[in-house]
Amino acid sequence: MKMRKISICALLSGLMLFTSCTKKVDTSEKVLNLAVTAEVKGMDPIYANDKYSSNEIARIYEGLLEYHYLKRPYTLVPNLAESLPVVSADGLTYTFKIRKGVKFQDDAAFDGGKGRELVAEDFVYSIKRLADPKLQGLGWWLLEGKIKGLNEWREKNSEKDVVDYSEVIEGLKATDSHTLVFKLNKPFPQFLYSLAMPFTFVVSKEVVTKYGDNFLNHPVGTGPFMLKGGEFKQTSKRLTYVKNPTFRKKAFPVEASEEFKPMLSDAGKDLPLLDKVVVNIIRESQPRMLQFKKGKVDYNSVDKDNFDSMIVAGKSLSKELLDKGINLEVSPSLDVTYTAYNHDMKLFQNTNLRRALALAYDVEEMNKLFNNGTALPAQSVIPPGIAGYMKNYKSPYRSKNLRLAKELLAKAGYKDGKGLPEITYDCPSASTSRQIGELIKKQLAEIGVNIKVQQNTWPELQKKITKRQVMLYGIAWGADYPDAENFLQLLYGPNKAPGANGSGYDNPEFNTLFKKAAVMQDSPERTALYEKLNRIAAEEVPWIYGVHRQGYTLKHSWLKNYMSTDFEAGQAQYINIDLNKKKEMLNKL
Amino acid sequence: MENESKSLWAHAWDSLKKDKTAVFSMTIIGIYVLLAILTVTGVIASDWSKEVGASYLPPSLENPFGTDIFGRSVLLKTLKGVEMAIAIGCVTAIISTVIGVLFGLTAGYFGGKVDEVIVWFYTSQASIPGIMLLFAIMFVLGKGTSTLFIALGITSWIPLCRLVRGEVMRHKEREYVQAAAALGAGNRRRMLKHILPNIFHIVIIQFSLRFQMAIKSEVILSYLGLGVQGAPSWGTMIDDSKLELSRGVWWQLGAATFAMFFLVLALNLLGDALRDALDPKLKGKA
Repeated sequence: MKMRKISICALLSGLMLFTSCTKKVDTSEKVLNLAVTAEVKGMDPIYANDKYSSNEIARIYEGLLEYHYLKRPYTLVPNLAESLPVVSADGLTYTFKIRKGVKFQDDAAFDGGKGRELVAEDFVYSIKRLADPKLQGLGWWLLEGKIKGLNEWREKNSEKDVVDYSEVIEGLKATDSHTLVFKLNKPFPQFLYSLAMPFTFVVSKEVVTKYGDNFLNHPVGTGPFMLKGGEFKQTSKRLTYVKNPTFRKKAFPVEASEEFKPMLSDAGKDLPLLDKVVVNIIRESQPRMLQFKKGKVDYNSVDKDNFDSMIVAGKSLSKELLDKGINLEVSPSLDVTYTAYNHDMKLFQNTNLRRALALAYDVEEMNKLFNNGTALPAQSVIPPGIAGYMKNYKSPYRSKNLRLAKELLAKAGYKDGKGLPEITYDCPSASTSRQIGELIKKQLAEIGVNIKVQQNTWPELQKKITKRQVMLYGIAWGADYPDAENFLQLLYGPNKAPGANGSGYDNPEFNTLFKKAAVMQDSPERTALYEKLNRIAAEEVPWIYGVHRQGYTLKHSWLKNYMSTDFEAGQAQYINIDLNKKKEMLNKL
Repeated sequence: MENESKSLWAHAWDSLKKDKTAVFSMTIIGIYVLLAILTVTGVIASDWSKEVGASYLPPSLENPFGTDIFGRSVLLKTLKGVEMAIAIGCVTAIISTVIGVLFGLTAGYFGGKVDEVIVWFYTSQASIPGIMLLFAIMFVLGKGTSTLFIALGITSWIPLCRLVRGEVMRHKEREYVQAAAALGAGNRRRMLKHILPNIFHIVIIQFSLRFQMAIKSEVILSYLGLGVQGAPSWGTMIDDSKLELSRGVWWQLGAATFAMFFLVLALNLLGDALRDALDPKLKGKA
């Protein structure tokens, strides 16, 4: 008897193995299959400080504003707001009308399990939550010092045992059920961008109260999708979302920039266009690409080591892929990679030394080795695509020039590197980061500068930067919103670590100009100031600039309306799947 | 019994010499050690960081193992890696052996409270997952090659300590130890002069096994980004190649694995051969 049981078990498990290998891709409904590269931390908007978590949160939650899906340069349009706000003449008061008839997703937290209507008070609550000193929301920096009375409220409540949400804050009021008024401390034109970021997305008090600490894993928003089963598990490698049946009427945009005109075939259709979104968390790049090739993932970015086998001459796809109907998308991303000096150290306050190292660094070689030559060498801090970027500007300290580098090194007082200590270069622990470090070590050795590469886990590196225990470190910055201010602030003195200015660069001239530009509304004068700042940032070499990267994404023929964007939050609702095409093309894969 | 009687060590050496595998593995280890010495002194592979060609050149006559991402010769990197492997194996094995023998000897010999404390200590340490402990030590001591030695050393002494403790317990009641005691030998003399030589075969066998384990651990740690920094090691080479494989660059992985395979295999074989030669229980059975 016993033997037989065992053999049946073995047979069964064998069968299961077999079925899982030959599982067909489902074509009965419109499912978007995604692959993401990192774990999702949780589903609470106030903690959404990384791309992966905030993208997931934006499937379920929504904010007042969003970026127009089909317009470039990036343009803000109302989402939960009825229209763009009325801004007072002094630039301090923003009045929003909230869209009527928006419902929260059904959940046991509401009366009778039916989601109630969204009101202005929900935004007041959600933004107070972001400022709540006990919750330590990770997006607080976004609003810190901006909204009248909010900082005072936060301070006052940090000593209390229970945070008092009932107190009315002057700068954050719901004047009636559907009117929301913000009052700012000083003009801050970038304020509107923060309302399109997942940090400020709206949550409901009932749900937060009911689930308490577990709210992180129990998302209930107003958005187009809801988590299947309603519960988020930190350990799960796959997240499944289904269409929210009570989602309001929201239509696919009818206008588009030239490059996105073909996507208008879905114009006016009710969103979301998909039935389901399945997010697979696959950390390693090889399995991700294999899943894509099998049609189990609808789009996937091309990483450096797959690049040569897939992309011919740096721009077009190999024939094998073209025959399978796979398309390539190349899009510049709003980011900059850089190697920062620690300006707290006397050593790096020496401008000549900074310039010398920058001149010894060969960005072309690094671009060739790590970005397949596709990235744009950065001349300064602002990436192309936003005002302040200077298309034809070439920094004098950008391209490799060993002769000048040696000259400047001598001028800095370290002829041929004599007298210089060993400089530590800190980087994250990924293999590529280490290789970049090794390249820098190799290049700087050419002028006699001695580098030691040190790998760190991500939190460890962050801690070291905040505690100023670094000398040189390699890192990148991606835009939070499409405004040069977001990049220039990385060099603004008062933003020193623990602020975003990890290098601790502090230049009075730069600070004054920045302070002035940061509060100006978008105008040619502001652009001129941005350009001036960008020029200072290039010539003073507070960092060794790297590149502005370009994203290479492969997508299957059945995927419609997809483009790679820097602001992916909320994108899934606009995407469509051509099921007939999918059935046809799957056979060819 | 022809002429004078031989010591245990002489016996062991004789049987080792007759064992072909043992000779073979000792030769291989000898070659590796020689290579390590040559790279340390800079006779060979001192210019491993020099570019010899374009990046990712496949193996050719000029570069037998091809080149890596920066156009450095993989062969030279592999040779330079020998130095690190031998250093890691040697130092780690010494650290763990010293700790293991010291604790095992003390616990087994004195018994009672001392034994309890030591057993408690190593069982608690053994209950922490090894890799977590490694991480913790690396974080506390900071990164670097010396930290790696220490971390690997102090996470791998427990099995040896257990073995030594058990063996010492058996030996301490034996007649020869009692005789030594009767002749007035103190604790230290009894432990080091009498018992230790009699259990030393365990230490030697374990040493060769620790040696190869440390080499393998280094690979895993480098793969996790915690390994050797700034010098080529087989671990970092394998870590590099996980990304390169998709573009068909197999030579770096090949070279590092190849080099490691022979050294680890040789050490394993030697460990077995040593056991055969040294373990009194197996004597005469082969």
